[in-house]
Amino acid sequence: MPNLTTSLNKIRSLEELSEGTTAIHRLHPMAKMITTIVYLVVVISFDKYDISGLIPFFVYPILLMALGEIPYQSVLSRLLIALPFSFFAGLSNPFFDRETAFLLLGVPISWGMLSFLSILIKTVLAVSAVLILIATTPMDKLAAQLIRMKVPRIFVMQLMLTYRYLTLLISEAAGMMTAYHLRSKGQKGIRFEHVGTFMGQLLLRSFDRAERVYLAMKCRGYNGSYQFAVSERMGAADALVAAVICVIFVLMRLFNISRIVGSFFG
Amino acid sequence: MHMADALITPAVGGVMMAASAGAIGYSVKKVKEELDEKKVPLMGVMGAFVFAGQMINFTIPATGSSGHIGGGILLAALLGPYAAFLVLSAVLFIQALFFADGGLLAIGCNIFNLGFYACFLAYPLIYKQIIGKTYTAKRVTIGTVIAVVAGLQLGAFSVVLETVISGVTELPFASFVLLMQPIHLAIGLVEGIATAAVLCFVLKANPTLLDGYAAGVNINAEKAVMPRKKVVTILLVAAIVIGGFVSLFASGYPDGLEWSMEGVAGTAELEAEGNVHSAAEGIQERTAFLPDYGFKNGDESSAMAGTSASGMIGGGITLGVACLAGYLISISKKKKYNAKPNNVSQ
Repeated sequence: MPNLTTSLNKIRSLEELSEGTTAIHRLHPMAKMITTIVYLVVVISFDKYDISGLIPFFVYPILLMALGEIPYQSVLSRLLIALPFSFFAGLSNPFFDRETAFLLLGVPISWGMLSFLSILIKTVLAVSAVLILIATTPMDKLAAQLIRMKVPRIFVMQLMLTYRYLTLLISEAAGMMTAYHLRSKGQKGIRFEHVGTFMGQLLLRSFDRAERVYLAMKCRGYNGSYQFAVSERMGAADALVAAVICVIFVLMRLFNISRIVGSFFG
Repeated sequence: MHMADALITPAVGGVMMAASAGAIGYSVKKVKEELDEKKVPLMGVMGAFVFAGQMINFTIPATGSSGHIGGGILLAALLGPYAAFLVLSAVLFIQALFFADGGLLAIGCNIFNLGFYACFLAYPLIYKQIIGKTYTAKRVTIGTVIAVVAGLQLGAFSVVLETVISGVTELPFASFVLLMQPIHLAIGLVEGIATAAVLCFVLKANPTLLDGYAAGVNINAEKAVMPRKKVVTILLVAAIVIGGFVSLFASGYPDGLEWSMEGVAGTAELEAEGNVHSAAEGIQERTAFLPDYGFKNGDESSAMAGTSASGMIGGGITLGVACLAGYLISISKKKKYNAKPNNVSQ
């Protein structure tokens, strides 16, 4: 049950965040999509042992989350979902790659530890980059840009409808869960032998809802194709911002900022 | 088994994205051919159903763990494989965006691993074949369980391949396979039984909702004999295909198992070598920004150790400056809010 309600709250809070009015929110959605993709590609293209090159990339999420007024806690709750798989897949690195890379205050650091750390850093960076995109751009604007990018309409529609009905079906399921628990005193979770009737019931309700949705759409002139709001073209200023940010990312990939900054001090 | 961005290289992500985009394009074409405008809202609601359904956990008796319904086969059994693939892709996309479940660059991997095998291999080649034309609870159950297990096995194997080809982790191919396949056999059985239970419920309550169900054919359904031969044949073919597929790639790592055992004993020089890996490195070298960026050579490692000190200091300083800037921006923003006389929240 907390699973259902927390997911519901997550979607709602992201939707609320995306309606902000900061400079990041006002940036054209296409500009944000491009910079996010370039950022992700650049970050994951780093060599698996290159930690110092990766660290400067924290600048992007830190600055954008401050500018976009995105609470830092939201990264943590997303990491709870994203991190376990990366963590366990990467955990083998310190065991299999045990050659010493260098000594840190007398403690030998192996290559495997470095590559494990780099997997964790990459996960944090990738997760926060996607969070920044979704927390500053409403879903319908993203969808409009996908249409502009010639993604098939029927697929974009699928995205929008799934997103719209998600909250409805989660609350429907949560209601059924409450009813179930009220009738089964002291029992944790739903018993496995009830999976067919419980999920089947939810499924039939979903079909009924789809039928009503279809009729409602029909009443409003639906004829098989969904109308999307016409999206504005990206202005010169937004294009320039996106281009500058992307160039900075590429430069940060080519030149190790950590070492350059460090050489002034060390 | 959602792939994360951090575990793949851009090349692997790009290739899988292209493959998934191709499958989506083909499915769009097929769904459009059906020209059923009613199906569009149904697909949207079904996407939301699978999404919500996978959040509901059922307690598995005598184990203390929990499981949920599987997505791919359930959707395919209700909507047909093409619509199901589109729905599942959209669900995975939203999971990546809103819940960080699977990465955005790894979206192609996830669509392929969780959608392609279930909708385009397991569904038509296993589920459909076992059920044939007569839908009975027994056939639906057997077909669903085998199809879900097979789909997940192929998906899990795909995860292993993508991870090993990317070479970000040091997981040796053989041990990773030996870890992933049995785990997903267990997961597949639970998901398969749960999915079969739901489909059997639908079969009883409103069988016309099932893909390919034709009224009238099922009059003598209860008398229909289970085509035992057919089931055995399909199982055999599936086993040979999956097994052959695994061993084909495993042969590229002839010393895989031996090597991982040595790794546990801590004696051997440990580095992943093999056809797949070196081929992938070739691709990587061509696509990477800096092709000769290998640190692993002995000569360079001492140089690396020397520069790593300045790297660490520099990294620390950069991080510190960024945090300070972020903090200052937040502070100034808060001040601005508090300064506003008509602030609603006050």
